[in-house]
Amino acid sequence: MEATAIHALLQSRFGDAVSDYVDGFEKGSLVAAARVAEIAAFLRDDPALGFESLMCLTGLDWDGYDASGKGKSVDILGYDELGRPQASDRVGDGDLGVAYALYSHRHGHKHTLFVRVPRAAPEVASTAAVWPTAAWHEREAWDLVGIRFAGHPDLKRILLDEDWVGHPLRKDYAMPGDWQGVPLDGRDYAACKWDESGVTLPDDVKRPDEPKQPDETTRPETGNQG
Amino acid sequence: MSETAAGRGWGGQDVRRELHSELLEINMGPQHPATHGVLRLLVRTDGEIVHGVTAHIGYLHRCAEKIAEGCDWRQWMVYTDRFDYLAPINMNFGYAVAVERMLGVKVPERAEHIRVICAELQRIASHLIAIGTFGLDMGAWTPLLYCFREREEILNILERLTGGRMLYNYFDIGGLRFDAYDGFERDVLAFVNIMEQKIPEYDTLLSYNKIFIERTADVGVIDLATCLAYGCTGPVLRGAGVPFDCRKDDPYSIYDRFEFDIPYGEGEQGTVGDCWDRYMVRMREMYESCRIIRQAVDALPGGPVKAEDLKKLVKVPQGSLYTRTESSKGEIGYHVFADGGSKPFRTKVRSPSFSNLHVIEKVGPGMMLSDLVATVGSLDIVLGEIDR
Repeated sequence: MEATAIHALLQSRFGDAVSDYVDGFEKGSLVAAARVAEIAAFLRDDPALGFESLMCLTGLDWDGYDASGKGKSVDILGYDELGRPQASDRVGDGDLGVAYALYSHRHGHKHTLFVRVPRAAPEVASTAAVWPTAAWHEREAWDLVGIRFAGHPDLKRILLDEDWVGHPLRKDYAMPGDWQGVPLDGRDYAACKWDESGVTLPDDVKRPDEPKQPDETTRPETGNQG
Repeated sequence: MSETAAGRGWGGQDVRRELHSELLEINMGPQHPATHGVLRLLVRTDGEIVHGVTAHIGYLHRCAEKIAEGCDWRQWMVYTDRFDYLAPINMNFGYAVAVERMLGVKVPERAEHIRVICAELQRIASHLIAIGTFGLDMGAWTPLLYCFREREEILNILERLTGGRMLYNYFDIGGLRFDAYDGFERDVLAFVNIMEQKIPEYDTLLSYNKIFIERTADVGVIDLATCLAYGCTGPVLRGAGVPFDCRKDDPYSIYDRFEFDIPYGEGEQGTVGDCWDRYMVRMREMYESCRIIRQAVDALPGGPVKAEDLKKLVKVPQGSLYTRTESSKGEIGYHVFADGGSKPFRTKVRSPSFSNLHVIEKVGPGMMLSDLVATVGSLDIVLGEIDR
């Protein structure tokens, strides 16, 4: 089935919930975040569509995206030469998004669903009940991009620790300066002297401000988390 | 499911009722050798019977997708090596194809052929590890040493070709970083000649070994519906009886020119989709890879190995594309979002092992603990690729 026909079929069935036809390298439909689950169920169960396979689920942050196509999107924040986290007073704006790459083994056709949600309330209906593989991909999207999936059976972090702060794949994510009290001190290893006796760290390439000493009393408990 | 997996003892008695005890939570990993990397499985057991499996991943997480947003398109190739460190060339291949499709670049013929040869050599190397360590999980030490013997030959060829033994960084956007050395074809053919004779040797050593069949046949059955629902690909999907392979069904590079078959599970020793079927798919795929290599070496043309009309700093036109290729573990997909600039806006890696491991939470409950080890081994996961 052609992608335009799939889009037309979705539009006739779901009306306003299916808006634009996406015509790029990959063809797809822009759909409403709250109704993804029922659209997904239709895509899987309709005999003419038969999308039984969710190839990939991608969460992404559209913050600072250059829509004109000149590649002038905002730079992500990183560390400076001394390894200190870069600060910025820019406040992130722009939508978050999810893309579902679908494939039908039966018919051999592909389609991609795109969803955009506002940054203030990033909530998308979970498709884990339709394609169980989405359960882990959605956990990853929550973990790294911070998109909530309504109706997900167990939405918690998957790759990062439970107590991690922030969602790293957001464009305005500031790199941490320490991890659980352990400073990520920025030593310029290129300026260190290496010889047979080992490495000599020159004082002047150490982090300028004194590293914070980890305090036994305030360090969070890290035991076995079930 | 086997007799033991269904909770029946050897005498046919109901183990579950006779040996019922309290539920016990045990950790399998992260330092356990049977978990193939830094994986922690939290297993709830009642005696020997598994009641629930929860996988805890992320120990190797480096957020390579965040790093991608700070690199230019060519620079990130080196990070793709680190996903599946047992098959880096297959990871390079997927990313190169993804970017080249968006750029609309025509890769030179010679580069395409060398790419295919490398990718198939790498597939054999990866499958050798999979088979060897799977045998090790089942208590068979010797096959591992045999497998490493042949893998060493592949690593030697790839070392002579690229300079690296484990991480190659050999592919580039639009071709290869440099041409093959003189005598590359001779080395590859010499290896293929040896390899094709060794496969029957593994069969007698491991595949049709009675103890091995007892441990793997009818164990850890993953049927087709489960595979599709959980996004299992590669040997896991083919083991469930479907001859689906991206090289044939979603062709990329020049795979459509070669003759090869897609092995799939037929339930030869038990049920379709059991551990033995998945193992055997890999075994037969090594033979098919040898066939592809022979054809690619025969057809290897001369000429450049880099697309000439490509700038050093490539700029990918605006848009998004999901591209998948067949790695040794399954379908490696790159969902690339470009803003028209010199850096990827967002690159999502859909790694085959990620989905292949997820299914263990579904098929694990009800098994014996020892069958869980067999099933995890037969999935052939690599944690670098799951955690990225």
